[in-house]
Amino acid sequence: MNWHGIPALWCGALGLLALVGYGRSLAGMTRAQRTVRVTGRIERVREPRNGGSEKDGIAVVVRFQDPSSGEEFTVTNDGDCGDRITTAWVGREVGIHYPPGRPHLFRFTDDLQAGRRGLGPPTFAVFLVYCGLVVTAAIDRGWPWALVGFGGPAAVATARALPGDRRRARSRLDVLAAAVPVPGRVIAVLRTVETDADGDVRSSRTPVVAFTTHEGSAVTAYYPSGLPDSAVTYGQDLTVHYPPGDPADFTPDLAAERRSDRGGVGCAVAALGVTASATVAGVVLLCLSAAD
Amino acid sequence: MTTTTGRPPARSTRVGLALGRGLLTGGVAGGALAALIVGVVVGKVPLFVTGLGLPFVYGLLLFLAGRPRRAREAAVVPRTALAAVEGLHVAESAMSERPVRFDLTVTPDEGPAFRVEFTQDINVVDLPDYRPGGVLVVRYPPDRPWLMRIVKRPTPEWEERAAGARPDAAPGAARVSAPAEVRGVGFVGFLGLLLGVAAVVLLFRVDLFERGAADPPSASASGSGAGVGAGAGAAPAPAPAPAPATPTVSSTWSTRVVSAGSGVIVLGAGQSFRSDGELRRAIDSLTAERDPRSAIALVAQEDLLSVAFSPTGGKTPEFDPLELPYERIPALIEEARSSLGVHAPQSWQLVADRLAGSLSIRISVTGPEGTGLLEADVEGRVLRRTPAS
Repeated sequence: MNWHGIPALWCGALGLLALVGYGRSLAGMTRAQRTVRVTGRIERVREPRNGGSEKDGIAVVVRFQDPSSGEEFTVTNDGDCGDRITTAWVGREVGIHYPPGRPHLFRFTDDLQAGRRGLGPPTFAVFLVYCGLVVTAAIDRGWPWALVGFGGPAAVATARALPGDRRRARSRLDVLAAAVPVPGRVIAVLRTVETDADGDVRSSRTPVVAFTTHEGSAVTAYYPSGLPDSAVTYGQDLTVHYPPGDPADFTPDLAAERRSDRGGVGCAVAALGVTASATVAGVVLLCLSAAD
Repeated sequence: MTTTTGRPPARSTRVGLALGRGLLTGGVAGGALAALIVGVVVGKVPLFVTGLGLPFVYGLLLFLAGRPRRAREAAVVPRTALAAVEGLHVAESAMSERPVRFDLTVTPDEGPAFRVEFTQDINVVDLPDYRPGGVLVVRYPPDRPWLMRIVKRPTPEWEERAAGARPDAAPGAARVSAPAEVRGVGFVGFLGLLLGVAAVVLLFRVDLFERGAADPPSASASGSGAGVGAGAGAAPAPAPAPAPATPTVSSTWSTRVVSAGSGVIVLGAGQSFRSDGELRRAIDSLTAERDPRSAIALVAQEDLLSVAFSPTGGKTPEFDPLELPYERIPALIEEARSSLGVHAPQSWQLVADRLAGSLSIRISVTGPEGTGLLEADVEGRVLRRTPAS
């Protein structure tokens, strides 16, 4: 067996796994398809302590009903229980999923619909097969194939996503700017000091904002992660903009939100430029080598 | 007093399983590591791939084997109870989450109270909430109460119960602790690792040691002008200059002599060029140091191989010895020995050359009945049979 056997084994095994995964999904046998997905409702929100832990999320009490037994459960987000709840108000709906018949293994989720067909693992296996083919082509026929093989799809994906993302971001900013703001306040600044994998001490801080919507919902939320918060202090008053009907998408700093949006667009354009350039360079090199 | 609840496996079974798994894990780790290294050294891709894939396969098998136990444990609904803090010790740390050693008396709604010790990280801001004599809400799997966790955010119902509860003394409460670690797992794992390495090295000892011992140092091979030694796959080196050939003896081949014009290999006792791969290995050895490796004739007998290399500027028709169908040759020899009317073959000889234009293989077999001849082409197809007469 020469070295081609290794990528053949890689692609064959992963291709088989992908086929099995797609087959299981078609047959409705994946774990994701069997998972029970329900919507719970926040019944109580506890105000965080200043200086407390930021990793546990906003403390909430949630009630949900198991559709198979009809039994109602009251739970809290204590310990390892799925996605962190960073924005909460009484009455807010939150996604909950758990294995059938085991509501005690509940997990909170930000997106109840995500991955419900169980196609993630087989699609990832297909991606790995593609990577194996590109690497084989790059070793066998020259490294420009790697530029074309990886740069091409990345450039296409970025180019396809960019206009839609840009449109949505502009629309969101327009809605936020047009919304009537409400006063908010920093009710706590959560701090974490921990050691990372290298043993270095790492610290972080997260301000917690409280505001009341025009509809009367008292919202407690972590300061948006994409915005600079080093100047935000405990007890500081803020002006909060939020889209009507979705207080979770609030921003306490509209100007910073616009700067962040421009930065995001710049990053996306740079990524598009890099991937497209790599693809073009790969194609040119291949053409030159073919001409020789 | 130390007690455990549920029905854990008998201690002897648990110890046996732990030691067996340690031995197997060590063996797989050692075997995989050795397979990776030996695969690279002897140039066997399948062995290298085996070394690469073995840990993954073993991990997958371990994962699958553990599924029933995990499913059983996941099906157990955790129990929530009140607990009184008998004592606690906060470890010194600059981190915001401090490891706290708790000593609790747990009073479940069903069953007797018990004491348990465990460590849990508590945020420094929340530390004042935990003090001796206080009442906490805890949660634990009923079959493994040593996996106790404090519920930092209890539901309103349990919060009220904890607020209204008074810590009860429970003298004589049983102390619950996790089953003791099985001793010697590390040693057994190390033993398994050594065994795994030894197994792979022993399986491939011929490729590793005999080949390595027989391979000549490249400096002496090129310096003397004669490749001396025995072993296939010798490292390529500059073409040797004409010089007196010096025979040597190895454990694999009795004699191997290579000069600028010819190469000869004599097999050791009990070995035959009729064996699968033996002829190819010998040819590889004789031609590995030559570039180009063209020959004008190849003669093989039961234990003797002789190759006449093409002289520089010679006009004799030449061929690449590696063109011969080595995988077919043992079968052709057997066919010649059995199909040419020689009932008790005493000797055989294979001659390959290009004197007739195309590369031809002639196998002659001699016995009491005379000499028979079988001719084959470069693909190993039989062209002609001349029975003994």
